[in-house]
Amino acid sequence: MGAGITQVTSLSSRQHDDVVLPGKDVLPGKDVLPGKDVLPGKDVLPGEDVLPVLPVLRGLLPAGGLLRGSVVAAGRWSMLCLALAAGASVDGAWCAVAGLPQLGVRAAADAGLDSGRLLLIADPGTGWPQVVASLLDGFEIVLLRPPERPSAQLRRRVEAAVRRHGSVLVVAGDWDGAQVRLHIARQEWTGIGVGHGRLRARRVEVVADGRGAWARPRTRWLWLPGPDGSVTAAADWVVGAGSADGAGGSNSAWTDHRGAVAVSGAG
Amino acid sequence: MNAVGGMRRRVLVLYCPGWSSSAQRSPAQDEQAGPGAQDLDRVISVLEEFCPQVEVLHPGVCAISVRGPARYFGGEEELARKISEAIIRRGLDCRTGIADGLFTAVLAARAEPSGAVVPPGGAAAFLAPFPVTALEIPELDDLLPRLGITTLGEFAALPAAVAANRLGAQGVLAHRLARGLDPRPLVPRQPAADLSVEWEFDPPAEQSEPVVFAAKALADQLQAGLAARRLACVRMRVQAVCEDGREIIRLWRYDGLLSAVAVAERVRWQLESWRTSQDLGAGAAGGRADGRADGRAVGPGGGITLLRLTPDQLVRDEGRQLGLWGDAVVSDRVARAAAGVQAMLGHGAVTRPVLAGGRSPAEQVLLVPFGDAAAPLLPAGRPWPGNIPAPAPATVYPAPLSARITDSSGTPVTVTGRVQMSDFPALLSAGGGPPLAVISWAGPWPATERWWDPPRARRRARFQIVTEDGSAWLAVVQDGRWLIEASYDLMAYYWDGARVTGTVPSYRDGARAPTEYRRNR
Repeated sequence: MGAGITQVTSLSSRQHDDVVLPGKDVLPGKDVLPGKDVLPGKDVLPGEDVLPVLPVLRGLLPAGGLLRGSVVAAGRWSMLCLALAAGASVDGAWCAVAGLPQLGVRAAADAGLDSGRLLLIADPGTGWPQVVASLLDGFEIVLLRPPERPSAQLRRRVEAAVRRHGSVLVVAGDWDGAQVRLHIARQEWTGIGVGHGRLRARRVEVVADGRGAWARPRTRWLWLPGPDGSVTAAADWVVGAGSADGAGGSNSAWTDHRGAVAVSGAG
Repeated sequence: MNAVGGMRRRVLVLYCPGWSSSAQRSPAQDEQAGPGAQDLDRVISVLEEFCPQVEVLHPGVCAISVRGPARYFGGEEELARKISEAIIRRGLDCRTGIADGLFTAVLAARAEPSGAVVPPGGAAAFLAPFPVTALEIPELDDLLPRLGITTLGEFAALPAAVAANRLGAQGVLAHRLARGLDPRPLVPRQPAADLSVEWEFDPPAEQSEPVVFAAKALADQLQAGLAARRLACVRMRVQAVCEDGREIIRLWRYDGLLSAVAVAERVRWQLESWRTSQDLGAGAAGGRADGRADGRAVGPGGGITLLRLTPDQLVRDEGRQLGLWGDAVVSDRVARAAAGVQAMLGHGAVTRPVLAGGRSPAEQVLLVPFGDAAAPLLPAGRPWPGNIPAPAPATVYPAPLSARITDSSGTPVTVTGRVQMSDFPALLSAGGGPPLAVISWAGPWPATERWWDPPRARRRARFQIVTEDGSAWLAVVQDGRWLIEASYDLMAYYWDGARVTGTVPSYRDGARAPTEYRRNR
């Protein structure tokens, strides 16, 4: 119990809210990326061929949204998948979810997905490529967890359907041909202590990379979910020793607004 | 707007309670939650002994016209009794209701304990005590009570013109229902032209696919014919004829207007129920053996030679008025895609979530098959003391994972009836995976649910637990057993930062995972 806590840092709420700690590529005005990364005229308002995403995710995606006809891989099933679909759902898009019987609908609704425009196919079965192709015909966003790793041929067939229908396939898993890959590198829960408090919010470090111009990884800290279940930008937080090796017991802790101790799990 | 007088159509509705409630179950609980083709066929073959034309309203609810059969079988009550007995003898539970008009008959059939017979002209009086929600028109469920109208009787007492002014076309429909009338006046004249469409198969179709394909084309053709006459069809007669001349006729009702894919889907169900049918009714004894011997044959008497679709009930196509704001309108494109998937996986495999009330995350969502309407059993938006505070978990296991939570000495943590814990939790292992160190936790939060109902009562205590890998879990202990009901995001399935040490917990049954977790970096 409590293993691995080596350092407890106290941050006051003011510090935490207002001070943007120096990070790799965060500038004041959280959503603006350094000029080199901004595609001219493309990252501000998504156009016809781009499905909108939540504002905090714009900087992580080429063209500032989900490019129609593209595949986005979200690493594994997590709330990040829901957050990716939420922006378009708010905008009126229909979303189908295949192969994820464990999807928490309330969490999805809190993240911004309209549950009235959500369709769940718990088990697409062995014929899942056909099911996905049918869904792509009617739904702007299809969230898929493939039951197995698809062969290259199968994968290309699904990708062709994605392009043909101009939809977006968000894969909760790996997808070799994905234009963009996102994953959660680190996360910390706040609000819960040892025997007291409760889970209130989670700060995650989302890393995005992809192909071509988007090959260089970029990083964002998000509240995923925030205290009310929504997804918002979080200030960068420099973990003293929260390095990627993680296993060495270099977890660190900090306090959230209410002073409860939160412990980071190194990714 | 005036076809009120005259002979009212007497209708018998057969309601199979256990069957239709399959829509209320999640597909995980009910693996074969499809259309229940076999039961459907059993019920229909029984009903066909009483009346040749059976209308399937939706799975679990069938209707027949009473007039002829009642005279033959010695009165309405007698007919209802005989039908129930025949169905119960086949091992299915059922209730029957007889009334003027379909809406009243459906409610009569749902009456406890075994349905009701509403005398002619008594529909309005029978309907009066029902709440307005019985109309199943979501827009009015909320509006009418706010206007002080809680029962159908109060609603029916309003002048029709007032209902029309205030509530529009939908209000007129609802008001007619509440008065015990048919929702829309039927078109008084017979359609002058024969609107039926048919497709001959030469050679006969041995497989169901070409028949279903033809049905889709026929449905388009039918739709075009109807649209040209500004008619819409709410009921459709599907007739399939076999090589040896035998035929099966089904009536299908579809809420909303029938789309081509919806029609094709129903034809597929009809053919499937036929193939799996055990009892083909009178005169089938000869053809049954060969029909069953060849598992691929679609019909009992060889292949299908003819498929005919006849619009059986026509109404004026008044279009559908959509809500001005906020209605999640199912567009044709979405409906087509969803129906296409339903055709592949079965009716119950494609669901829409409805948020409901409850304490545990699994209770808070009801999955309704696409195309069905169902109100949540437990209403959302009420306070549920003891529910899980926000944020909601992103992963809710359809069947909770078994778990082992131990203290630092390795003995399982227990919680007494007075919510005293034996020790702090130190290790968590879920679904047979490797143990993870607990770095923070909160709880126990006791919940004593349904203590008034011993078989369903349960006492449990919940915990939120964060483990060393950064994953957060919602654990529950009941009768000394630990279960993982839900998890906030898992960093990985037993991802310890450098390597994967476990397998993916199977979300289906909480048992051992079938697939190795592949992501090995």
